[in-house]
Amino acid sequence: MAGLPSAQRSANRGANQLGAHQLGAHQRGANQRSVNQRASQSANLQPANRKRSTVVTLVLATCLSSGLSSVLAPQAFAEATKEFRYTVGPHANISVDTQYGAISVKPGSDNQVVVTAILKSNNVEVDQQQMGNRIEIASHLLRGTDQPTGQVDYELLIPPDATVTLRSATGPLSAERLQGDLTMEGAEAAVSVRQVENCHVHVRTMRGPITLIDVRNGHVEISSISGDIHLKSVTGPLVQVSSGRGTIFYDGDFGSGGDYRFTTHNGDIEALVPTDVSAGFRAHSVLGKVQHDFPLKPRHSRFTEEVGRSFIGSTGQASSEVVLRSFSGRIRLKQR
Amino acid sequence: MTCAEVEKALPELLDGAPDGVRGTNHAALQIAFDAHVKSCPDCSDLVSELKLIVREAHQMAASEEPAPRVWVRIAAQLREEGLIREPADTGPVLVPTPSRPAWSAWWLAPVAAALLVAGSYIANHKQPTPVAQQPTVSPTPVNAPVPVVAETPATPPTTAPATTAPAAAPAGQEVARQEAPPEQAARLKEQVKEQPDPAAEDQQFLSVVSTRAPSMRATYENQLQAVNADIRETQNYVDRNPGDADARQHLMDAYQQKALLYQIGLDRIQ
Repeated sequence: MAGLPSAQRSANRGANQLGAHQLGAHQRGANQRSVNQRASQSANLQPANRKRSTVVTLVLATCLSSGLSSVLAPQAFAEATKEFRYTVGPHANISVDTQYGAISVKPGSDNQVVVTAILKSNNVEVDQQQMGNRIEIASHLLRGTDQPTGQVDYELLIPPDATVTLRSATGPLSAERLQGDLTMEGAEAAVSVRQVENCHVHVRTMRGPITLIDVRNGHVEISSISGDIHLKSVTGPLVQVSSGRGTIFYDGDFGSGGDYRFTTHNGDIEALVPTDVSAGFRAHSVLGKVQHDFPLKPRHSRFTEEVGRSFIGSTGQASSEVVLRSFSGRIRLKQR
Repeated sequence: MTCAEVEKALPELLDGAPDGVRGTNHAALQIAFDAHVKSCPDCSDLVSELKLIVREAHQMAASEEPAPRVWVRIAAQLREEGLIREPADTGPVLVPTPSRPAWSAWWLAPVAAALLVAGSYIANHKQPTPVAQQPTVSPTPVNAPVPVVAETPATPPTTAPATTAPAAAPAGQEVARQEAPPEQAARLKEQVKEQPDPAAEDQQFLSVVSTRAPSMRATYENQLQAVNADIRETQNYVDRNPGDADARQHLMDAYQQKALLYQIGLDRIQ
């Protein structure tokens, strides 16, 4: 190699170095592969052991969790249904009181009251008693019970002429096709009353919405602090509805000979009536706007009309009296 | 001493004779009175009942008192309607003039009640005898300002409907005409202190709700704030427009909404 030019010698040196490097790398790779092989061989032995230990672990964990849950979480409890039956005379008085849960009431036979209670946990009991023609049913929460575990839903079949009182903070509350007086109260409960006639209906909620459909010939008194109130085909000698911040919507003809008073603080009032409605109207909003679609006949009254803030007048024979009042809400009388 | 003489002397001996009348005569009268009452079951019963009425009247006068704002609003309403007029020269309620008659109106109600019972007892059980000195306990003041008497059982219907200078003292409080000003001021301050603070009532209400239904506290608190805001808004409007009857009705409606919220929250299950 002495006769080679210097560049060639350098190249040869570099090649030699590269080859040595490659040889070393190859050797390292071989070593590594042998290590890997040993590792994989040992790894191939582990799955069997691992599976066994995993299964054991899982079994232990399942046993432990089920044991713990049965000790620590007694509310892990399938729903329980209880049924109570009572025999009553005419005009029975029935009250149902539950902090959490729905209550629905429908007509049944004339002398039987059937109560079906669906308990969501065993942290709540149903207290029930009958005193002659009076039946009281109440949910009794045990200590530490919250809403999900304290819920009891009630379904009642009652004589149609029975007087009913329903209370639930969460609701919903519903009653239909009855002829006895109804009292329904709930903080946030949605209340629904349908096809009820010849009876008094009293509803109070904090912010639960209230819906009355086809309620006739009775006194209706509804109060809500901020719940919306929807009335459809509701007529009677006295219909008083008030909501502080909720909206009152009425769809009907105001019957004949009735006294209707709708009041809000800053909620809107809207009445949708047919063209042949027969009523005397008086509407006033202290700070809100007032409008109507009807050509009202003027009425003699000490009430002072103020365009845009109030109106007074009548249609037809003015059979019913309708008073719409709001402090700052909007009032609209619309023609269907 | 006979039963008739006992009945005649009752007002003087139960309430105490006015200053200047006490003396040996009064002491002798008291001795004879006591001796007769001990021996006569009818007179003994009468005296016991009258003393009971006087005691109960004192307690009820404090507990049944409406909030001062009620009287303020009633006074404002009556002033607007022209039913009461401001006197020409009205001083602060707490500083009565020395020239007023020297009777404490505070004692009028129970003494008047005692006289009524005595009079009815006499009319029912004894020969008609003239009832003793009525005019000494007349509750009607001679000169303005005319106060409103706190309600007591059997209080004669002599209450005047208005107060003057209501800003100086809670309306509904009687004005002393004989007591020294510091005593009257102290009594009025004590009565004002007894009235509950609306904000404190709200906090108490929320505390009860928290106890009964902790998860609902935030909801009730929001609703309470909304209702209070409605009341303030309406009150401000009424203050600026005192003649607006509809606005006043809306103010009452707003208070009723608050009462409804309290009812729903304090109901037995909610």
